[in-house]
Amino acid sequence: MVFESRGEKVFRFAILIVLGLLSVIALLPLLSVISVSFSSGWVVDLNQVTIWPKAFTFDSWQYMIDRPDLWRSFFLTLITTLIGTLLALLVTAMLAYPLAKKEFMIGGILMVGVVITMVFKAPIVPYFLTVRSIGLYDNPLVLIVPHILNPFNLIIMRTFFKQFPKELEEAAFMEGSGYFRLLFSFVLPLSKAVLATLALFYGVVLWNQFQHPLFFITDTDWYPLQIKIRQFITDPNEMPFLASRQEVNYNERTLRSATVVFAIIPVILVYPFLQKYFVKGAMIGSVKG
Amino acid sequence: MTQGQTPTVGQLKQIIRKRLRSGRLVAGLLHNMRKYWPLYAMALPGIAFLVIFKYVPLLGSVIALQDYSVFRGLQDSPWVGFKHFETLFRYPDFQRVLVNTLLLGALKTILAFPIPVMLALMINEVRHALVKKGIQTALYIPHFLSWVIVGGIVFDVFAISGLFNIVIGWFGYDPVLVMQDSRFFRAVYVITGIWRDAGWGTIVYMAAISAIDPQLYESAMMDGASKWKQMLYVTLPLLMPTILILFLLDIGNFMELGFDHVFNLLTPMTYSVGDILDTYVFRTGIQQAQYSFATAVGLFQSVIGFILVHTFNRMSRKISDGGLW
Amino acid sequence: MATKKWGTLVIAASLTLLMLAGCAQNNGNANGNTSGNTQEANNTPSATEAVEEMIDLVVWNTNLGFKPIEKGSQLYELYKDVLGVGVIHPYVEWNGGTAYLNQLNLKIAANEMPDLFKPQQGIEESLAKNGAIADLTDLLPEYAPNLWNLIPEEVWNIVKANDPTGKGRIYYVPGVLDYGRTAGLIRQDWLDELGLSMPTTQEEYVKVLEAFRDQDPNGNGQRDEIPTGGREEARWMDHLFAMYGIAMHEGNPDWDMYDGELTYSAVTPYMKAALAFNARLYKEGLLDPETLLNNKAQWDGKIDANRVGSYFHWAESVGGHLETIQANAGVKGDFAVLPVPKVEGYEGFYTAKRFQGPVWVVKNNKDEKKLMATLKLLNNLYDTNNWEKLFYGVEGMHHVMNNGKPSTLPEDKSTMENKVFAPHNDFDTVEFKKNLFNSIDYGDRKWAIDLNLRNMDENVKYIKTIAGDGLPASIYEGFADINNRTLYVEYATKIILGQFSIDKFDEFVEKWYASGGEEVTKRAREWYAKTNG
Repeated sequence: MVFESRGEKVFRFAILIVLGLLSVIALLPLLSVISVSFSSGWVVDLNQVTIWPKAFTFDSWQYMIDRPDLWRSFFLTLITTLIGTLLALLVTAMLAYPLAKKEFMIGGILMVGVVITMVFKAPIVPYFLTVRSIGLYDNPLVLIVPHILNPFNLIIMRTFFKQFPKELEEAAFMEGSGYFRLLFSFVLPLSKAVLATLALFYGVVLWNQFQHPLFFITDTDWYPLQIKIRQFITDPNEMPFLASRQEVNYNERTLRSATVVFAIIPVILVYPFLQKYFVKGAMIGSVKG
Repeated sequence: MTQGQTPTVGQLKQIIRKRLRSGRLVAGLLHNMRKYWPLYAMALPGIAFLVIFKYVPLLGSVIALQDYSVFRGLQDSPWVGFKHFETLFRYPDFQRVLVNTLLLGALKTILAFPIPVMLALMINEVRHALVKKGIQTALYIPHFLSWVIVGGIVFDVFAISGLFNIVIGWFGYDPVLVMQDSRFFRAVYVITGIWRDAGWGTIVYMAAISAIDPQLYESAMMDGASKWKQMLYVTLPLLMPTILILFLLDIGNFMELGFDHVFNLLTPMTYSVGDILDTYVFRTGIQQAQYSFATAVGLFQSVIGFILVHTFNRMSRKISDGGLW
Repeated sequence: MATKKWGTLVIAASLTLLMLAGCAQNNGNANGNTSGNTQEANNTPSATEAVEEMIDLVVWNTNLGFKPIEKGSQLYELYKDVLGVGVIHPYVEWNGGTAYLNQLNLKIAANEMPDLFKPQQGIEESLAKNGAIADLTDLLPEYAPNLWNLIPEEVWNIVKANDPTGKGRIYYVPGVLDYGRTAGLIRQDWLDELGLSMPTTQEEYVKVLEAFRDQDPNGNGQRDEIPTGGREEARWMDHLFAMYGIAMHEGNPDWDMYDGELTYSAVTPYMKAALAFNARLYKEGLLDPETLLNNKAQWDGKIDANRVGSYFHWAESVGGHLETIQANAGVKGDFAVLPVPKVEGYEGFYTAKRFQGPVWVVKNNKDEKKLMATLKLLNNLYDTNNWEKLFYGVEGMHHVMNNGKPSTLPEDKSTMENKVFAPHNDFDTVEFKKNLFNSIDYGDRKWAIDLNLRNMDENVKYIKTIAGDGLPASIYEGFADINNRTLYVEYATKIILGQFSIDKFDEFVEKWYASGGEEVTKRAREWYAKTNG
């Protein structure tokens, strides 16, 4: 090991303290959401729950988990997220790669075109009619297809490809590989970090999608998770309800919290797995090895 | 105009200009296509996607020049020229809304943009793998709370019996209702934005850092560079292209402050500093289904955004190697 | 030359291929919808398949998270029996009406308007102008006499006056509220506890509020009482404005006769006086300091925590709060109607509006059978004999029978289909409501329900129907900020909090008139002259 001066130790320690503090600040609100989800509805209504659950109960979770339609949505979303992410990575890489090549003559003009799609947003009605006209209305494919290319992600990938060491590529080129082979068996395997990053970006958008199913799916059986859980927690009604008093421990707010936590868990679980691709020097190391 | 140093675009443009002059652009393109056809084939699905899902609907922006009615459709809705743009500019509070939008946009760009870079550099210094993972995960979690939820939490934190007032109470201060005081709105906007999205923003940088050749650090250490110096003279410069690109992308959405972000923090008492173009459009355009008007305002924002990207892109190409195109 | 053609061909071909691939995938899908031709395909299975030719109609209305009504479902069958028409009610996210309106617009843009739906934000006006919704003027008397006769002629006259085409035709079914539903409410048991009598003047009311603040009426030894308050945007605190004769509907200023002319109550000197009073209450700690930050849940939470002395809401729904207070604090409380406190020189009242805006519009169906079926549905819907059946819904899903009396089940969004028809809310009469309260088997909840009933009778005394009742939203066209009360809310809230001095009110009035108030007032007065001419 290399020496570490005292200054450096202090430096690293200070960083650790700051990051630790920030982590706590980042997590506190989630903690409060979690405690609300485990508290009884009436304490929550009295605004008494802060960081720890009060009048602890599993009722909100029980109610949510017992709903079969939730699980259907959950697995539907899981599958569309997986397929969508893979497809998106493929399409994005296949466009980002030529865009990073200077021999691709229309690359410059295409980039302007890509940036335009980022800055200018299509109005909702024409967008709806267009997507509908290609047959994606009331079609589960609408949960995937509109998400397979995102200009922002495309540009990020292109930036990475552009920084790819040219010598390595040229060497492979000499060996007679075509562009397709170059991309798939050479460039992509060495771009795990950016692939992991974009997998996360695409995955999260697919997982959290709300607008598309709202506008394009009418059959509630095909509702993905986010829109399904909205069904549990819609606006309060001014209208008094004449029903018998509910002997349950959940209410709108505890349910909302439970659903929020429920929907976050998978995303939280995924990140540490992707993180291993961010290891320093992953790319260069593998070339040499 | 174009610097000779910018290899991709610069050279291309020169080639194009030359070809144009000799009237051989099409032939040149065809030649290029024949020679590098796999690149074109590869790009095809992506291009088709952009055309279908972005450009065709984008053509629908012409409804900004119509009194669009969903019942009549694009063909039969009457054309009204720039009426909706006039409505926007004549709005009595237009100045206030525009100033608020620009100010919040500037604050967002200046204060919030650098944070993920700093965080990424700091996280990079953490040695212990598990601690590193923990910190990263913790920091990026807030991104998954929607603004409705975050808004609710923020209002709770600043309530009379909320955390904020409890803490300032320890120091002997009277409770302050921050959310109904226009002096604090901008700070709340920026801080909540950082709180929710800074951790998420580090991910790209972490990926970029991981692509840095370890040999560079080794040689820097040989030269006796401290950690701090390595961060400053190795990591940061190598991150620059990524930072630059992200900055350009960010600036393109300068006018987009996140409707949900602002809307969920806004109260009538903070309109004077927090009412922005997006919230104005929501009140007048979206709630009333005035699609033409909403589109007109959207175009106005996009045009400004595009001018900004274009300007900064040219600047960045002058001072450095990179740029979007 | 040849190569050039070849190149373009390849591009064109691959693009087409890609598109085809997309469509082919889609065609393989269960629905098999193809572009543009989906008009009737998804929601309305062909009407002819039923033996007695049951016609299915697509109906849209508010759904706060319940299950949709699908062909053959339990509620579908119930509606078929009661209304004689098949009702398909897809789930449409509501979200304050914004998501609903957006989806409705998209449906209309795609040429798939529902057969019968609740309009939002004045969408019926452009639809009527474009001939998209049916002109009901002649159809209703002939094919839906129940509806036609139930709604009083004066109300129909207002609907005619509000016809956006200006021809005096009827394009929608209006909601009617036949009694004053909202009122100021006060803890009678706290008054008793402190030995105070029901306040009748403003001074007495303020004294009572001070006593609530200082004398621990809830008896928990803490000074945690909130004498009175309301919610964000200065809403649901109408009782503090009512004493100044302000026309106000759930916090939204409304139109009434001031100085002999129809005027927006927010720009009158009466409002200035009311705001000054509210600012005083706020300063003295008699208003909840968080009044202007409370959302519904938070404000209800404070009421339910046995902390609030006086609030404004539906007089008939105090029972729910009182039951919760009993559960939370073990106190059998009592929220009584607060008589509008007298202020010298002002004529106070609680605002009532009979006219509740459009409830239903009917698609201008080219298909005669569907149009007739829609009218049949409306006719049966407004047959009051059907109302109890519609209210109680499906046995086992929405209610159970106890001792021969129906008892509604607690809301369960996972099992209940959305009761899309609630005519008793759309034509709300005090008789039907009271009968409902009386018909349900309440058991030991009776004390709370009785207080609801008492308040309903009591509130009648303080109600006034305002002159602006029935004023259409179209008077605000082009002035969204006036329609949204943006300017009013900003000034009112800041004045109440003391961030603006009361003198700023004059600036508000000036700005309001300058930014469109002038034109809106002109339109409103024209409307008034027309309806009362």
